[in-house]
Amino acid sequence: MSLFVKFWGTRGSIPTPGPATSRYGGNTACVEIRTDEALLICDGGTGLRELGQELLQRAGGAPIEGHLLFSHPHWDHIQGFPFFTPAYQPANTFTIYGFKAGDQRIFQLLSGQMRSDYFPVDFSELSATIRAAELPEGRGQIRDVAVRALPQLHPGGSWAFAFESQGRKVVYATDHELDLLLPDRDASLRDPHAPRQLPDELVEFVRGADLLVADGQYTDDEYRRKIGWGHPRATTCVDLAIAAGVKQLAITHHDPMQTDTDVERKIYACRARAVLRASDLVVFAAREGVELKLA
Amino acid sequence: MSSGPWDNWDRTLPGSIPLHDVRMPTRAAVLEQTRGPGAPQAHLLGREQVVVGRTEGDIRIASAELSRSHMRIARKGPEYVCIDLDSSNGIYLNGVKIHSAVLREGDHLQLGDVIFVFHAGA
Repeated sequence: MSLFVKFWGTRGSIPTPGPATSRYGGNTACVEIRTDEALLICDGGTGLRELGQELLQRAGGAPIEGHLLFSHPHWDHIQGFPFFTPAYQPANTFTIYGFKAGDQRIFQLLSGQMRSDYFPVDFSELSATIRAAELPEGRGQIRDVAVRALPQLHPGGSWAFAFESQGRKVVYATDHELDLLLPDRDASLRDPHAPRQLPDELVEFVRGADLLVADGQYTDDEYRRKIGWGHPRATTCVDLAIAAGVKQLAITHHDPMQTDTDVERKIYACRARAVLRASDLVVFAAREGVELKLA
Repeated sequence: MSSGPWDNWDRTLPGSIPLHDVRMPTRAAVLEQTRGPGAPQAHLLGREQVVVGRTEGDIRIASAELSRSHMRIARKGPEYVCIDLDSSNGIYLNGVKIHSAVLREGDHLQLGDVIFVFHAGA
Protein backbone atom coordinates (compact mmCIF):
# COMPACT_ATOMS: atom_id res chain seq x y z
CA MET A 1 0.00 0.00 0.00
CA SER A 2 1.88 3.01 -1.22
CA LEU A 3 1.41 6.32 -2.93
CA PHE A 4 4.06 7.36 -5.43
CA VAL A 5 4.66 10.84 -6.81
CA LYS A 6 7.00 11.31 -9.75
CA PHE A 7 8.07 14.53 -11.42
CA TRP A 8 8.16 14.45 -15.22
CA GLY A 9 8.11 18.17 -15.96
CA THR A 10 8.99 20.93 -13.51
CA ARG A 11 9.57 23.96 -15.74
CA GLY A 12 7.07 26.75 -16.18
CA SER A 13 5.97 28.63 -19.27
CA ILE A 14 8.18 27.05 -21.96
CA PRO A 15 10.53 24.07 -22.29
CA THR A 16 14.15 24.94 -21.50
CA PRO A 17 16.50 22.23 -22.76
CA GLY A 18 20.24 22.71 -22.36
CA PRO A 19 23.12 22.34 -19.96
CA ALA A 20 22.05 25.23 -17.71
CA THR A 21 18.84 23.42 -16.74
CA SER A 22 19.88 19.77 -16.94
CA ARG A 23 19.74 19.11 -13.18
CA TYR A 24 16.15 20.19 -12.53
CA GLY A 25 14.99 19.65 -16.09
CA GLY A 26 13.55 21.61 -18.96
CA ASN A 27 10.22 19.87 -19.57
CA THR A 28 7.03 21.67 -18.67
CA ALA A 29 4.44 20.66 -16.08
CA CYS A 30 3.65 16.98 -15.58
CA VAL A 31 3.41 15.03 -12.32
CA GLU A 32 2.44 11.38 -11.95
CA ILE A 33 0.58 10.18 -8.86
CA ARG A 34 0.21 6.44 -8.55
CA THR A 35 -1.54 4.23 -6.02
CA ASP A 36 -2.27 0.50 -5.94
CA GLU A 37 -5.38 1.08 -8.09
CA ALA A 38 -5.04 4.40 -9.86
CA LEU A 39 -2.75 6.25 -12.23
CA LEU A 40 -3.36 9.98 -12.08
CA ILE A 41 -1.55 12.48 -14.26
CA CYS A 42 -1.51 16.12 -13.26
CA ASP A 43 -1.02 18.32 -16.32
CA GLY A 44 0.23 17.35 -19.74
CA GLY A 45 3.18 19.62 -20.40
CA THR A 46 6.12 18.32 -22.39
CA GLY A 47 7.06 15.99 -19.53
CA LEU A 48 4.04 13.88 -20.50
CA ARG A 49 5.90 12.51 -23.51
CA GLU A 50 8.52 10.73 -21.42
CA LEU A 51 5.92 9.55 -18.92
CA GLY A 52 4.11 7.93 -21.86
CA GLN A 53 7.25 6.04 -22.82
CA GLU A 54 7.73 4.76 -19.30
CA LEU A 55 4.07 3.74 -18.97
CA LEU A 56 4.42 1.59 -22.08
CA GLN A 57 7.56 0.00 -20.70
CA ARG A 58 5.96 -0.69 -17.32
CA ALA A 59 2.78 -2.11 -18.87
CA GLY A 60 4.67 -4.53 -21.10
CA GLY A 61 1.75 -4.73 -23.52
CA ALA A 62 -1.04 -4.78 -20.90
CA PRO A 63 -3.79 -2.16 -21.19
CA ILE A 64 -3.16 1.17 -19.46
CA GLU A 65 -5.87 3.07 -17.61
CA GLY A 66 -5.08 6.65 -16.66
CA HIS A 67 -6.85 9.72 -15.31
CA LEU A 68 -5.73 13.14 -16.47
CA LEU A 69 -6.37 16.28 -14.47
CA PHE A 70 -5.31 19.56 -16.01
CA SER A 71 -4.80 22.60 -13.80
CA HIS A 72 -5.64 24.76 -16.83
CA PRO A 73 -5.10 24.73 -20.58
CA HIS A 74 -2.15 27.09 -21.01
CA TRP A 75 0.44 25.74 -23.44
CA ASP A 76 2.95 24.60 -20.87
CA HIS A 77 0.29 22.33 -19.36
CA ILE A 78 -1.13 20.68 -22.48
CA GLN A 79 1.67 20.69 -25.04
CA GLY A 80 2.82 17.13 -24.35
CA PHE A 81 -0.54 15.50 -24.99
CA PRO A 82 -0.18 15.05 -28.79
CA PHE A 83 3.09 13.18 -28.07
CA PHE A 84 1.62 10.88 -25.41
CA THR A 85 2.13 7.56 -27.18
CA PRO A 86 -0.24 5.48 -25.00
CA ALA A 87 -3.12 7.58 -26.39
CA TYR A 88 -2.41 6.06 -29.81
CA GLN A 89 -2.97 2.46 -28.68
CA PRO A 90 -6.47 0.98 -28.77
CA ALA A 91 -6.28 -1.10 -25.59
CA ASN A 92 -5.72 1.95 -23.38
CA THR A 93 -8.29 4.14 -21.65
CA PHE A 94 -7.83 7.71 -20.48
CA THR A 95 -10.30 9.94 -18.69
CA ILE A 96 -9.98 13.72 -18.78
CA TYR A 97 -11.75 15.59 -16.00
CA GLY A 98 -13.63 18.83 -15.72
CA PHE A 99 -14.49 20.28 -12.35
CA LYS A 100 -17.88 21.87 -12.85
CA ALA A 101 -21.12 20.38 -14.14
CA GLY A 102 -20.97 20.28 -17.93
CA ASP A 103 -17.35 21.44 -18.00
CA GLN A 104 -15.65 19.88 -21.03
CA ARG A 105 -13.47 22.89 -21.82
CA ILE A 106 -10.16 21.10 -21.27
CA PHE A 107 -11.28 18.13 -23.34
CA GLN A 108 -12.27 20.44 -26.18
CA LEU A 109 -9.04 22.45 -26.03
CA LEU A 110 -6.93 19.30 -26.03
CA SER A 111 -8.64 18.10 -29.14
CA GLY A 112 -8.48 21.62 -30.60
CA GLN A 113 -4.67 21.76 -30.32
CA MET A 114 -4.58 18.69 -32.58
CA ARG A 115 -6.39 20.37 -35.46
CA SER A 116 -4.42 20.11 -38.69
CA ASP A 117 -3.36 23.78 -38.43
CA TYR A 118 -1.34 22.90 -35.35
CA PHE A 119 -0.51 19.21 -35.54
CA PRO A 120 -0.44 16.54 -38.27
CA VAL A 121 -2.52 13.94 -36.43
CA ASP A 122 -6.15 14.69 -35.64
CA PHE A 123 -7.55 13.97 -32.18
CA SER A 124 -10.08 11.60 -33.74
CA GLU A 125 -7.20 9.40 -34.89
CA LEU A 126 -6.13 8.64 -31.33
CA SER A 127 -7.07 5.01 -31.02
CA ALA A 128 -7.18 4.75 -27.24
CA THR A 129 -10.54 5.27 -25.55
CA ILE A 130 -10.44 8.89 -24.41
CA ARG A 131 -13.44 10.18 -22.54
CA ALA A 132 -14.45 13.33 -20.74
CA ALA A 133 -15.72 13.11 -17.18
CA GLU A 134 -16.66 15.52 -14.42
CA LEU A 135 -15.94 15.84 -10.76
CA PRO A 136 -19.06 17.89 -9.98
CA GLU A 137 -18.66 20.40 -7.16
CA GLY A 138 -14.91 19.83 -7.53
CA ARG A 139 -14.81 16.55 -5.64
CA GLY A 140 -15.11 12.86 -6.32
CA GLN A 141 -13.50 9.46 -6.15
CA ILE A 142 -11.11 8.03 -8.72
CA ARG A 143 -10.49 4.38 -7.85
CA ASP A 144 -8.89 4.42 -4.39
CA VAL A 145 -8.17 8.15 -4.45
CA ALA A 146 -10.44 10.88 -3.06
CA VAL A 147 -10.00 13.98 -5.21
CA ARG A 148 -10.90 17.59 -4.51
CA ALA A 149 -10.36 20.63 -6.73
CA LEU A 150 -10.08 24.27 -5.70
CA PRO A 151 -10.13 27.29 -8.03
CA GLN A 152 -6.95 29.37 -8.03
CA LEU A 153 -5.91 32.89 -8.98
CA HIS A 154 -4.31 32.82 -12.44
CA PRO A 155 -5.08 34.61 -15.72
CA GLY A 156 -7.90 32.54 -17.22
CA GLY A 157 -8.26 30.54 -14.01
CA SER A 158 -6.66 27.33 -12.80
CA TRP A 159 -7.34 24.50 -10.35
CA ALA A 160 -5.46 22.99 -7.44
CA PHE A 161 -5.98 19.32 -6.64
CA ALA A 162 -5.89 17.45 -3.34
CA PHE A 163 -5.50 13.68 -3.47
CA GLU A 164 -6.07 11.44 -0.45
CA SER A 165 -5.49 7.72 -0.43
CA GLN A 166 -4.39 5.14 2.09
CA GLY A 167 -4.07 7.78 4.79
CA ARG A 168 -1.75 9.96 2.72
CA LYS A 169 -2.41 13.35 1.17
CA VAL A 170 -0.78 15.09 -1.79
CA VAL A 171 -1.72 18.55 -3.02
CA TYR A 172 -0.78 19.75 -6.50
CA ALA A 173 -1.19 23.51 -6.74
CA THR A 174 0.47 25.16 -9.68
CA ASP A 175 -0.14 28.44 -11.47
CA HIS A 176 -1.53 30.27 -8.50
CA GLU A 177 -0.52 33.83 -7.64
CA LEU A 178 -0.70 33.43 -3.90
CA ASP A 179 0.72 36.88 -3.28
CA LEU A 180 -2.35 38.59 -4.69
CA LEU A 181 -4.39 36.88 -1.94
CA LEU A 182 -2.39 38.43 0.88
CA PRO A 183 -4.50 40.91 2.88
CA ASP A 184 -1.68 43.46 2.94
CA ARG A 185 0.29 42.71 -0.19
CA ASP A 186 2.11 46.04 -0.33
CA ALA A 187 3.39 45.63 3.22
CA SER A 188 4.66 42.16 2.42
CA LEU A 189 6.53 43.56 -0.57
CA ARG A 190 8.07 46.31 1.54
CA ASP A 191 9.06 43.86 4.26
CA PRO A 192 9.61 40.43 2.69
CA HIS A 193 10.46 38.95 6.10
CA ALA A 194 7.00 39.69 7.51
CA PRO A 195 4.68 36.67 7.84
CA ARG A 196 2.25 36.24 4.95
CA GLN A 197 -1.28 35.21 5.79
CA LEU A 198 -3.11 33.09 3.21
CA PRO A 199 -6.92 32.68 3.06
CA ASP A 200 -8.42 30.09 5.42
CA GLU A 201 -10.11 28.20 2.58
CA LEU A 202 -6.78 27.61 0.87
CA VAL A 203 -4.98 26.69 4.10
CA GLU A 204 -7.71 24.14 4.94
CA PHE A 205 -7.54 22.69 1.44
CA VAL A 206 -3.82 22.06 1.89
CA ARG A 207 -4.07 21.15 5.61
CA GLY A 208 -2.02 18.16 6.71
CA ALA A 209 -0.59 17.28 3.30
CA ASP A 210 2.32 14.87 3.34
CA LEU A 211 3.48 16.61 0.19
CA LEU A 212 2.56 19.96 -1.33
CA VAL A 213 3.71 20.41 -4.92
CA ALA A 214 3.41 24.15 -5.39
CA ASP A 215 4.14 26.71 -8.07
CA GLY A 216 7.07 28.76 -6.77
CA GLN A 217 8.16 30.30 -10.02
CA TYR A 218 9.73 33.50 -8.74
CA THR A 219 12.34 34.65 -6.30
CA ASP A 220 11.34 37.64 -4.17
CA ASP A 221 13.26 39.98 -6.49
CA GLU A 222 11.82 38.51 -9.69
CA TYR A 223 8.27 38.80 -8.41
CA ARG A 224 8.48 42.60 -8.11
CA ARG A 225 8.69 42.72 -11.93
CA LYS A 226 6.07 40.01 -12.53
CA ILE A 227 3.12 41.03 -10.39
CA GLY A 228 -0.12 39.94 -12.04
CA TRP A 229 1.55 37.28 -14.22
CA GLY A 230 -0.17 34.49 -12.31
CA HIS A 231 2.69 33.03 -10.26
CA PRO A 232 3.85 33.59 -6.69
CA ARG A 233 7.05 34.12 -4.81
CA ALA A 234 8.41 30.70 -3.86
CA THR A 235 8.82 32.00 -0.32
CA THR A 236 5.07 32.61 -0.06
CA CYS A 237 4.54 28.87 -0.61
CA VAL A 238 6.63 28.30 2.51
CA ASP A 239 4.21 30.36 4.58
CA LEU A 240 1.26 28.46 3.13
CA ALA A 241 2.89 25.11 3.85
CA ILE A 242 3.76 26.05 7.42
CA ALA A 243 0.27 27.42 8.11
CA ALA A 244 -1.25 24.19 6.79
CA GLY A 245 1.07 21.82 8.67
CA VAL A 246 2.54 20.36 5.49
CA LYS A 247 5.41 17.89 5.90
CA GLN A 248 7.22 18.37 2.58
CA LEU A 249 7.06 21.21 0.07
CA ALA A 250 8.22 20.64 -3.51
CA ILE A 251 8.66 23.92 -5.36
CA THR A 252 7.88 23.49 -9.04
CA HIS A 253 7.10 25.49 -12.22
CA HIS A 254 10.61 26.94 -12.25
CA ASP A 255 10.94 30.09 -14.28
CA PRO A 256 12.43 29.45 -17.74
CA MET A 257 15.09 32.11 -17.09
CA GLN A 258 16.34 30.29 -13.99
CA THR A 259 19.44 28.12 -14.34
CA ASP A 260 20.00 25.17 -12.03
CA THR A 261 22.06 27.44 -9.78
CA ASP A 262 19.25 30.00 -9.71
CA VAL A 263 16.76 27.29 -8.72
CA GLU A 264 19.05 26.23 -5.88
CA ARG A 265 19.37 29.81 -4.65
CA LYS A 266 15.57 30.08 -4.69
CA ILE A 267 15.28 26.91 -2.61
CA TYR A 268 17.92 28.12 -0.11
CA ALA A 269 15.82 31.25 0.38
CA CYS A 270 12.76 29.07 1.04
CA ARG A 271 14.67 26.93 3.54
CA ALA A 272 15.96 30.02 5.29
CA ARG A 273 12.39 31.29 5.58
CA ALA A 274 11.25 27.99 7.09
CA VAL A 275 14.09 28.17 9.63
CA LEU A 276 13.14 31.75 10.42
CA ARG A 277 9.63 30.49 11.19
CA ALA A 278 11.13 27.75 13.42
CA SER A 279 9.55 25.14 11.18
CA ASP A 280 10.95 21.70 10.34
CA LEU A 281 9.24 21.83 6.94
CA VAL A 282 11.25 19.98 4.28
CA VAL A 283 11.60 22.18 1.17
CA PHE A 284 13.13 21.04 -2.08
CA ALA A 285 13.06 21.82 -5.77
CA ALA A 286 10.91 19.50 -7.86
CA ARG A 287 13.29 17.82 -10.27
CA GLU A 288 12.60 15.72 -13.34
CA GLY A 289 13.08 12.01 -12.81
CA VAL A 290 12.70 12.08 -9.02
CA GLU A 291 10.09 9.82 -7.47
CA LEU A 292 8.86 9.93 -3.89
CA LYS A 293 7.09 7.14 -2.03
CA LEU A 294 4.66 8.30 0.60
CA ALA A 295 4.33 5.02 2.48
CA MET B 1 26.75 31.90 -66.24
CA SER B 2 29.51 32.32 -63.73
CA SER B 3 31.12 29.26 -62.30
CA GLY B 4 31.94 28.98 -58.64
CA PRO B 5 31.76 26.59 -55.72
CA TRP B 6 27.97 27.05 -55.28
CA ASP B 7 27.19 26.04 -58.84
CA ASN B 8 27.63 22.46 -57.75
CA TRP B 9 25.71 22.77 -54.50
CA ASP B 10 23.16 20.09 -55.47
CA ARG B 11 25.83 17.45 -56.05
CA THR B 12 27.83 15.56 -53.45
CA LEU B 13 31.44 16.53 -53.79
CA PRO B 14 34.32 14.46 -52.50
CA GLY B 15 35.98 16.05 -49.53
CA SER B 16 37.98 15.37 -46.44
CA ILE B 17 36.01 17.07 -43.68
CA PRO B 18 36.86 15.50 -40.31
CA LEU B 19 33.79 14.29 -38.39
CA HIS B 20 33.31 14.58 -34.67
CA ASP B 21 33.40 11.36 -32.70
CA VAL B 22 29.76 10.66 -31.81
CA ARG B 23 30.22 7.30 -30.08
CA MET B 24 28.50 6.73 -26.74
CA PRO B 25 30.53 7.66 -23.66
CA THR B 26 32.69 4.81 -22.50
CA ARG B 27 33.95 5.99 -19.11
CA ALA B 28 31.60 4.54 -16.51
CA ALA B 29 30.13 6.56 -13.68
CA VAL B 30 31.55 6.33 -10.18
CA LEU B 31 30.02 6.23 -6.72
CA GLU B 32 32.50 7.94 -4.43
CA GLN B 33 31.91 6.76 -0.87
CA THR B 34 32.79 9.59 1.49
CA ARG B 35 31.35 8.25 4.77
CA GLY B 36 30.59 4.94 6.40
CA PRO B 37 32.62 1.75 6.83
CA GLY B 38 35.40 1.52 4.26
CA ALA B 39 35.30 5.19 3.25
CA PRO B 40 36.86 6.80 1.40
CA GLN B 41 36.70 4.62 -1.65
CA ALA B 42 35.41 4.73 -5.20
CA HIS B 43 33.02 2.19 -6.70
CA LEU B 44 32.92 1.93 -10.46
CA LEU B 45 29.42 1.58 -11.93
CA GLY B 46 30.64 -0.59 -14.75
CA ARG B 47 27.64 -2.89 -15.19
CA GLU B 48 24.12 -2.28 -16.42
CA GLN B 49 22.88 -2.76 -12.85
CA VAL B 50 24.73 -2.48 -9.56
CA VAL B 51 23.21 -3.37 -6.18
CA VAL B 52 24.43 -1.80 -2.94
CA GLY B 53 23.74 -3.69 0.27
CA ARG B 54 25.03 -4.86 3.62
CA THR B 55 25.38 -8.53 2.75
CA GLU B 56 24.10 -8.82 -0.81
CA GLY B 57 24.88 -7.17 -4.13
CA ASP B 58 27.87 -5.86 -6.00
CA ILE B 59 28.91 -3.20 -3.50
CA ARG B 60 28.81 -4.59 0.06
CA ILE B 61 29.33 -2.25 2.96
CA ALA B 62 29.33 -3.60 6.50
CA SER B 63 27.07 -0.99 8.05
CA ALA B 64 24.24 -1.95 10.39
CA GLU B 65 22.25 0.96 8.91
CA LEU B 66 22.18 -0.59 5.45
CA SER B 67 19.61 -3.21 4.52
CA ARG B 68 20.88 -6.50 3.18
CA SER B 69 20.00 -5.31 -0.31
CA HIS B 70 19.45 -1.54 -0.13
CA MET B 71 19.71 0.27 -3.45
CA ARG B 72 20.00 -0.59 -7.13
CA ILE B 73 21.61 1.70 -9.66
CA ALA B 74 20.62 0.91 -13.23
CA ARG B 75 22.05 2.40 -16.40
CA LYS B 76 19.35 3.63 -18.79
CA GLY B 77 21.03 4.83 -21.97
CA PRO B 78 23.36 7.63 -20.95
CA GLU B 79 21.73 8.06 -17.52
CA TYR B 80 21.90 6.27 -14.20
CA VAL B 81 18.81 5.70 -12.06
CA CYS B 82 18.88 4.78 -8.38
CA ILE B 83 16.00 2.80 -6.86
CA ASP B 84 15.26 2.00 -3.22
CA LEU B 85 14.90 -1.76 -2.72
CA ASP B 86 12.40 -1.42 0.16
CA SER B 87 15.22 -0.67 2.54
CA SER B 88 14.62 0.13 6.19
CA ASN B 89 16.41 3.48 6.26
CA GLY B 90 15.70 4.60 2.71
CA ILE B 91 17.70 6.76 0.32
CA TYR B 92 18.18 10.48 0.82
CA LEU B 93 19.06 12.39 -2.34
CA ASN B 94 20.66 15.69 -1.38
CA GLY B 95 18.77 15.49 1.91
CA VAL B 96 15.34 14.49 0.57
CA LYS B 97 13.98 10.96 0.99
CA ILE B 98 13.24 9.52 -2.44
CA HIS B 99 12.11 6.24 -3.95
CA SER B 100 13.97 6.60 -7.24
CA ALA B 101 15.82 9.28 -9.17
CA VAL B 102 17.79 9.95 -12.30
CA LEU B 103 21.23 10.84 -10.94
CA ARG B 104 23.15 13.98 -11.81
CA GLU B 105 26.80 14.92 -11.37
CA GLY B 106 27.60 15.71 -7.76
CA ASP B 107 24.44 14.24 -6.24
CA HIS B 108 24.77 13.13 -2.62
CA LEU B 109 23.14 9.82 -1.72
CA GLN B 110 22.78 8.95 1.94
CA LEU B 111 21.95 5.39 2.98
CA GLY B 112 21.96 5.28 6.76
CA ASP B 113 25.46 6.32 7.85
CA VAL B 114 26.88 5.73 4.37
CA ILE B 115 27.24 8.69 2.00
CA PHE B 116 28.08 8.53 -1.68
CA VAL B 117 28.76 11.27 -4.20
CA PHE B 118 27.73 10.39 -7.74
CA HIS B 119 30.06 11.23 -10.59
CA ALA B 120 28.66 10.84 -14.09
CA GLY B 121 30.76 9.09 -16.73
CA ALA B 122 32.10 10.74 -19.81
